[in-house]
Amino acid sequence: MTKQNIRQQIDGYEDIQAEIAVLRKYAHDRRADKGTVDRVINALHPKELQLTVSEIIEETASSRTLRLISANGILPPFQAGQYINIFVNLAGIRSSRPYSIASSPAQTAYYDVTVRRVEDGFVSNYLLDEVKIGDTFTSTSPAGLFYYNPLFHGKDLVFLAGGSGITPFMSMIREVTDRGLARKITLIYGSRDADDIIFREELEDCAQRHDNFTFRPVISEPAPSYRGHTGFITADLMREVLGDIQNKMFYLCGPEEMYTFCLSELEKLGVPRKKIRQEVFGPPTNVTEEPGWPTEVRGDATFTVAIRGGASIPARADEPLMISLERAGITIPTSCRSGECSLCRTKLLSGEVFQPRGAKVRKSDRQFGYIHACMAYPLKDLEILL
Amino acid sequence: MPDYDVIVIGAGNGGLTASASLAKRGAKVLLLERHNLPGGCATSFIRGRFEFEVALHQLSGLGTPEQPGPLRGLLGQLDVLDKIEFTEEDTLYRTIIPGEFEVTLKADRAEAIAALKEKFPDEAGAIDRFFDLVWEFCMQMVSIFYMRDPEASRDKYPTYCKYALKPSQEVLDGFFTSPLLKLALASYWGYVGLPPSRLTFMDLAMLLWVYIEFKPFHIKGGSQAMSNAILDAFIQAGGHPRFNCGAKKIIISDNRVRGVVTETGEEITCDYVVSNASIITTYVEMVGEEHIPDDKLRMLGSRSVGPSGFAVYCGLDCEPQDLGIDVSTQFICLNTDIERQFAAWRTFDTPEMCGMSCYDVADPDFSPPGACQVALINLQFADHWLTIPPAQYADAKYRYAREMISLVEKVYPGFSDALEEVEASTPVTHLRYLGHPGGGFYGFEKYAKDSNLFIAPTSGIDGLYFAGAWAGMAGFQPTLESGVSAAKAIYRKMNR
Repeated sequence: MTKQNIRQQIDGYEDIQAEIAVLRKYAHDRRADKGTVDRVINALHPKELQLTVSEIIEETASSRTLRLISANGILPPFQAGQYINIFVNLAGIRSSRPYSIASSPAQTAYYDVTVRRVEDGFVSNYLLDEVKIGDTFTSTSPAGLFYYNPLFHGKDLVFLAGGSGITPFMSMIREVTDRGLARKITLIYGSRDADDIIFREELEDCAQRHDNFTFRPVISEPAPSYRGHTGFITADLMREVLGDIQNKMFYLCGPEEMYTFCLSELEKLGVPRKKIRQEVFGPPTNVTEEPGWPTEVRGDATFTVAIRGGASIPARADEPLMISLERAGITIPTSCRSGECSLCRTKLLSGEVFQPRGAKVRKSDRQFGYIHACMAYPLKDLEILL
Repeated sequence: MPDYDVIVIGAGNGGLTASASLAKRGAKVLLLERHNLPGGCATSFIRGRFEFEVALHQLSGLGTPEQPGPLRGLLGQLDVLDKIEFTEEDTLYRTIIPGEFEVTLKADRAEAIAALKEKFPDEAGAIDRFFDLVWEFCMQMVSIFYMRDPEASRDKYPTYCKYALKPSQEVLDGFFTSPLLKLALASYWGYVGLPPSRLTFMDLAMLLWVYIEFKPFHIKGGSQAMSNAILDAFIQAGGHPRFNCGAKKIIISDNRVRGVVTETGEEITCDYVVSNASIITTYVEMVGEEHIPDDKLRMLGSRSVGPSGFAVYCGLDCEPQDLGIDVSTQFICLNTDIERQFAAWRTFDTPEMCGMSCYDVADPDFSPPGACQVALINLQFADHWLTIPPAQYADAKYRYAREMISLVEKVYPGFSDALEEVEASTPVTHLRYLGHPGGGFYGFEKYAKDSNLFIAPTSGIDGLYFAGAWAGMAGFQPTLESGVSAAKAIYRKMNR
């Protein structure tokens, strides 16, 4: 007897054969489904977007907003607080930078990204100085984890912003006020001087019109005439502005140094860890000052990175591997450039890298030698598999 | 000479084991994966201080070193056993109707029987007889299909032939009167995705038997650790993985595989292709309508796409015991009406059941100290999700996730207050990550008509093979096995 035969001897075998015969007779033609999966994905999360600058809005002396419309279709929805990673070709190098969408998610006719000048800003200075209406970019779809999650964030939100870190909050504030949502928001926004406050007019206006939105600018280098909060976002200041901190969710977005400062102030206030949401902020300004950096490796040391089956390229110790690859004309997938999204996950075959705090590498990826190239710094010659 | 002997499309469980087995046997293999990492469903993602397990609930078929199951043998042959650490669970599951009923079944036949008898003393005799039947049935099935008895017949294996295709509901009704008892014994129905009216006794019996005989396991570092280990074995054996590189077309002429075109338009030649993509996608998108054999087109159209699911990944800022969570796997139901729970998979109605896995119970290192993670899962078909306008998708997701959390809150008050991270995934999420029609992570529906008892897993095209849930049974053990089967078939052909 063969196995085929015993199958046919199972009770009910013939009944099911009969069902199959009927179903085949009236079979759905699967060819009609061609492209369906891609259509579903593209409506929600296309792999990349083609964007055109439709308008440029001057915000402050050092910042401006690029209004981006789709060059070829529709823009997908996003959650207020998410970013797009914009690709640019500059001086022969293809690179990218993530920018939070500042506009409200209530509409997706356009995305606004607001760019502020930073020292040696390779991409930001280009976006501020060179880009004009009609220019086009490629970007990723909106992504990122810094957004309001109604499942556990509660209804009482405190936004701690610094400088251009206002942009994701702007989208969240606009969403709540545009849609009349039942969430209370207190924005404490640190800027260097009063002229530096991005979106000042809109924020003040919004605070006047909406009972559930409070705006408190904090100026670190105030003019003598300035009336309002000055200094930094300290525990005392938060206590004064917020009163009771119970049941509030704190969100933090700003320059690197602000995180260290505000996190310790929040700790003084007794805010538990799960009540603090932080946006990622890219690689550290100076990686050699990070805890755990091996002092024997100089920042300007240069190593060789051999790509299996490809070229060998030079890489500085104090630059993320991703930048060295981009300088050599090698683009690898990336979205957050902050160690979080894992798109640039790369296998390290030999050598050693430094991965600063904030690089979210899976446990087993560490075990099997995977690194996130956007937050990995060579400490030796490397061999990698792309 | 073609560029490769074999190109494997997709690095899911089946694609990974197919690649690693072929490379180990000396074949020149290219593994293409659209994403940046291996695993398909067998993966993880990080939120805050949590690394969430995506798909693995209970690994079946592993067994202990002393009493090894088939999966231990398979992983041993791929040389990955020593690269993976497993955690054994001592419990199958707890079935709960909040405030009304609960029973916990240990992964031990005598203890499971004792627990059921304690709850249902009136049906003690039937409980014994049911377990006897399950064991007798499974021993016969093992003799026929695993030991490959050359003289298998109805006379020799009457229990198998009588019960294999019987609906589980019919068998349970024949033994028991209490709906609660039937619910408790059928609780694994969600692992197959069919209610007892359509779940064959074969499937239900095998689930109970396999998990009791070989125990449920999990993996240190989650299923991503296993995916990474198998990929590592593949690389060690000289295989070439290429990530961020999907396959667009399978090149076919004269009904024979000639190569693959990648999403960037590169043509790579080969003699064999193993597709770990869905069978529908493989034929309709990659093979192309001009090359689909007529009978396969009819076969495709007669098969139903199985369910996808809705998962809520919860990171809690407490230990499991702080909330009273003391078993890894639980099924929380609002009632005993599984048919109704199944019907709700096609709607946004309040979910009436949910699977709940807390990996930290068996492995306290799974999450950081003082924290634990809980995955909630209810299966869902995709169709109703596809009717939601994109702009309303996030709201729909949160609404459903909130209802799942409320269901758990009924059993574990304080659960919501302990939430530190929450992420949800819908059938659309699974569709996007897997590329499967309907986001179906179980492949075709597992009703007998779509099983390998009735449908030959051949492609009708020379050199094209399938691996993964679409090619056979769903779940970790079967999909890992499917890749090895495809590899063996190819290897036999290569050496002919």
